[in-house]
Amino acid sequence: MAIEEDSAGGPALPEELPEGGITATGVSRKFGQVHAVEHMDFHAPAGKVTALIGPNGAGKTTLLLMLASLLAPDSGTVSMGGLDPQHNRAAVRSRIGWMPDTLGVWESLTAREILTQMARFYRLPAAGIGPRVAEMLDRVRLSDLADQPARVLSRGQQQRLSLARALIHDPSVLLLDEPASGLDPGSRVELRIMLRELAKEGKAVVVSSHVLSELDEIADGAVFVNKGRTVRQQTTEEAHAAGRRYAISATDGAALAAKLTELGLVFRQEDGRRPAVSLLLLSDDDAARLLRDLVLAGVPVSSFAPASGALEETYMNLEGERR
Amino acid sequence: MSQVTDTQRHAAGPGGAAGYAAGIKDVVILELKQRLRSRGWYIMLAIWFLLTGLVTWLTWASWNASQAAQRAYSDFTPAQTGPGSMIFEVVLAFVLLFALLVAPALSANAVNGDRAGGTLAILQVTLLQPGQILWGKFFAAWFAALAFLVASTPFLVIGVALGGMTPGHVIVALLMLAVEVGVVCAVGVGISALAGRPLFSIVVTYLAVAGLVIGTLIAFGLGTGLTQGTIKANQPNYREYQPLSNGPVEPEYTCSGPLREQPAPRTERVAWFLAMNPYVVVADAIPYPERTDPQGFTSVGAIESISQGARYAMAGPEGTYPCANGEAKPRYLAQETPLWPLGLGLQLVLAGLLMWLGWRSLRTPAHRLAPGTRIA
Repeated sequence: MAIEEDSAGGPALPEELPEGGITATGVSRKFGQVHAVEHMDFHAPAGKVTALIGPNGAGKTTLLLMLASLLAPDSGTVSMGGLDPQHNRAAVRSRIGWMPDTLGVWESLTAREILTQMARFYRLPAAGIGPRVAEMLDRVRLSDLADQPARVLSRGQQQRLSLARALIHDPSVLLLDEPASGLDPGSRVELRIMLRELAKEGKAVVVSSHVLSELDEIADGAVFVNKGRTVRQQTTEEAHAAGRRYAISATDGAALAAKLTELGLVFRQEDGRRPAVSLLLLSDDDAARLLRDLVLAGVPVSSFAPASGALEETYMNLEGERR
Repeated sequence: MSQVTDTQRHAAGPGGAAGYAAGIKDVVILELKQRLRSRGWYIMLAIWFLLTGLVTWLTWASWNASQAAQRAYSDFTPAQTGPGSMIFEVVLAFVLLFALLVAPALSANAVNGDRAGGTLAILQVTLLQPGQILWGKFFAAWFAALAFLVASTPFLVIGVALGGMTPGHVIVALLMLAVEVGVVCAVGVGISALAGRPLFSIVVTYLAVAGLVIGTLIAFGLGTGLTQGTIKANQPNYREYQPLSNGPVEPEYTCSGPLREQPAPRTERVAWFLAMNPYVVVADAIPYPERTDPQGFTSVGAIESISQGARYAMAGPEGTYPCANGEAKPRYLAQETPLWPLGLGLQLVLAGLLMWLGWRSLRTPAHRLAPGTRIA
């Protein structure tokens, strides 16, 4: 249990860190016989929100644990501004904030005590801890509840506390594992705004989720993973360019179907609560043109709207490819 | 957001051993804050206090009753030392028993309990090193257990106050109790870092304690049977019976005749089992009461008997068999080589090994995880 010298054996710390962000190159990790992550590539640039998207069990949490320097990859490298967590543990950790999917709060401690302890564990200068904690409590709107034991906080409040805990040392990379799960719609909007702000401050923000509709609004790019592999890496613009599915319903379904067939479009009947069809359109211009054609042809269109977010479209396509 | 600059971040905190200790202290504070806020701990402490008090009172009452009975039926009044030695011994044995039972409960879910609650990884991802987390958990568990010893101190002091013992006895006894509790806490924390589930590690720690308390006796007993050896000895000639008025004269026999091989169990080969027993360690470390009674026929306390018995086993037939190598052996109170440093040393090796294994399992980035455990 000797004192570990972090930089021993590792490369010397560079004076100025190159452009922030975090990169994983060809990382693999297995647990026993299960290959949780296989040769995955991932990059989250500074100043952007990167979504990590995949179904349950795709390896998202394992990848985040490796990025957070808690788990060592069996092969491949993780790099944070040129630093490897294996050798420059302290330097990497002081720049990484990690919010786990399990909340893990010390229930008998107050929010203020939890943040103070975390600041101490990150060896922030003692004099600055008080103001820093107050600032973070204010930022996640927990100032009123600062001196309540954490067990009385609601799930959403605990989630915000967990976020404040990950931010206490002002990291340049923020790793959030399912931050929106269990949040009510209002809190989700709030989270979205906060993550955009953090990205604007120049942090690399990584958000893992399988709730896709809101990621459209916050993510600049997305990395799709499945079965432990990186399936696709794309920006939200690219996702939009790949087209999205529209749902159309009309009071006269037969007329709608006839007109679409006449226009030579491929569509499918949706079995939702209201009779509707859906089809893939490549751009907003296409959508405008189709709507005009339908209305001019006298089809009684009652609704015409995107059926899913752009990222969701990619996700569903990937699901389709798998089958 | 940008108040914390990089220069501040790295100028912070002293490095080296002081920084390491500061990290341990922070973990201890975090742990103790949580323990001090749980009502169960106070309830246990109160029950402990009342129970120890009850045992003390019962011991004192039963001693009084036996004295009264003796006075009523005979005019013989043997005890001049008062009940002090007896109360002290009973309370000490009781406190050690319950300390050994409480310590695993306080320590054996320290690490995997946090793992199950999702708070261990929160610590691991900070700048804390695995050793700081582990030592912090250990000291917190130890301090929590020491509170129980503090609660029982008044009764040990009563034992002294009622006669027969010196304050030195209480201090040595408390010190050794504290060390023994620390050993059990270290075993518990080490096992809790290794085992996946809190329930499992608590059971294993209790079994380890049972192994130290009972298992060592069984191992010694069975082991003795396997150590049959021989010793060269000649014939002891016991003196005639002498009245006790002269006190025990050592040695009470003379040796003569040719040396002959005689069968004898070589207990010194397995005495280290006995030495590991917490009761032996504590009893052996406590100095014997002053023998001011010229008759030399005071009541021999349990502590002293345990200590001498273990030392006899350690000395083996070379030191205890009558006329081994043609030398007369002094009989009682003659084994002066203390046994407790060996026993405590072995206990510390065991605890240290478990703590080291636990430390290995807390290192991050983690390469191997114990089956069935998750980082977070």
